[in-house]
Amino acid sequence: MLFMHEVHSVAGEHEHEFEAAYRDGWMTQLARDDDARLLWYLNHAHGSGMSYRVVTITAIRDGAAYERLADRLRRGDLLDWSRAVGALRHEVQGKMLLPVYWSPIQEIDLAAVPTDGSEHELSLYMEDTGWPSAPLDDYIRFWDHEYFRNMRAMTPEHSILEIEACFQVAHGTHYRPEAMLMQKILNYGLLPSLISEPEEYDPDVWPGRYMHRGLRYRDQWESKLLRTSKWSPRY
Amino acid sequence: MLFLHEVHRVAGAKEREFEVAYRAGWMEALAADGDARLLWFLHHAHGTGPSYQVVTVTALPDGAAWERLAGRVQHGDLRDWAREVDSCRHDVQARLLMALDFSPLDVDLAEVPTDGRRHEPALYMEDTMWPKRGKAEEYIAAAGAIYTRMLGSDPAQRLISIEAAYQTMPGAGRYPEVTLMQKVHDMPGLVRLLTTDMPEEMARPGTWMHDALEFRDHWRSKLLRTASWSPLN
Repeated sequence: MLFMHEVHSVAGEHEHEFEAAYRDGWMTQLARDDDARLLWYLNHAHGSGMSYRVVTITAIRDGAAYERLADRLRRGDLLDWSRAVGALRHEVQGKMLLPVYWSPIQEIDLAAVPTDGSEHELSLYMEDTGWPSAPLDDYIRFWDHEYFRNMRAMTPEHSILEIEACFQVAHGTHYRPEAMLMQKILNYGLLPSLISEPEEYDPDVWPGRYMHRGLRYRDQWESKLLRTSKWSPRY
Repeated sequence: MLFLHEVHRVAGAKEREFEVAYRAGWMEALAADGDARLLWFLHHAHGTGPSYQVVTVTALPDGAAWERLAGRVQHGDLRDWAREVDSCRHDVQARLLMALDFSPLDVDLAEVPTDGRRHEPALYMEDTMWPKRGKAEEYIAAAGAIYTRMLGSDPAQRLISIEAAYQTMPGAGRYPEVTLMQKVHDMPGLVRLLTTDMPEEMARPGTWMHDALEFRDHWRSKLLRTASWSPLN
């Protein structure tokens, strides 16, 4: 399964039209067949990064389905939609992602993904993108052993987030070396301390051990706080 | 047909190892089946842009073949090769491209050389354009109808010729984005282009340089030189 990750630089005055185009156009048009489904529609929270940025993630069955979708956008039934959306944003940066071996999300049952735009409460994700100085495979394994397994072992009252997926860039579609974590914030009460308290890590105790050892693998990453829309299929 | 376009920031001290890895590793590994072929291995000419950058272009018959290749790199027989190549470069920025209707490139993958045969180097001017918001289709139509005609068809007269024209595939790079691979035929003409101002008559209303400003004013040109063994030159 492939995951198409897109970062849209939206024209500020058109943000609501852009969102409607994804809800009423992209999501519903994809529902016509079994090739792909929109999973997440996420607003980069104002005050935490770039303005008017939207992240969408679309699950695509396989490479052949991806090519069919690209053809629909280029000369098929999605061409008019693509033109209209192109006028509502400055640009879009896309990449195709593959789940890494330990990612909780591997396959998506496309038939079970909601496509009716039903509304729900909002949720917040922390999307971390890392660029390792160590070999990419070693970095992904380090995340598994030192981060994912420890986070999964935490009790709910101490757990700020849940790692829903870990991806690497599918060859030829973006930057290498790069890997990405999709993490749902579970406990908003713990978020202020993460943001506002000074970071002092004990190198002998997790999570300080993770932060110290992590420097062997990377010191460059970026976190984005992304809030789902009220109709995002996943939240 | 899809085209995998990669810009490698090579570690200067390992540029030879990197080139060998592509010639003896990538090109030959792809030759084992019909899924993909390396087309171009190009050096960004020193003195015209960033140092130690290499551009490679690999052709793939379709999306299913690309997915198989991505799987070979992630967990298959090309995984160790990718790890080795990563040690020879700082990073790589990649995208998938689709041919535009006016692209002249017609590749039979079975006919692409994979034996590293030598030839004279050739120079390409690779132009990447970012059309204005909502103007992508109009720009592509104008480029196909007007720009290609402006370049001329007389081999004896032309400065450059379009060898391939692409747009970036949705979900695999920046959109909208158009890339032209243009072969340089006239080196003295290229020097004139670089050393003299554009004649006024080329920027009047009714000319490409003037009228295309409605669709785009943002592009980047790279002067790329083929390696002596690059399958296409």
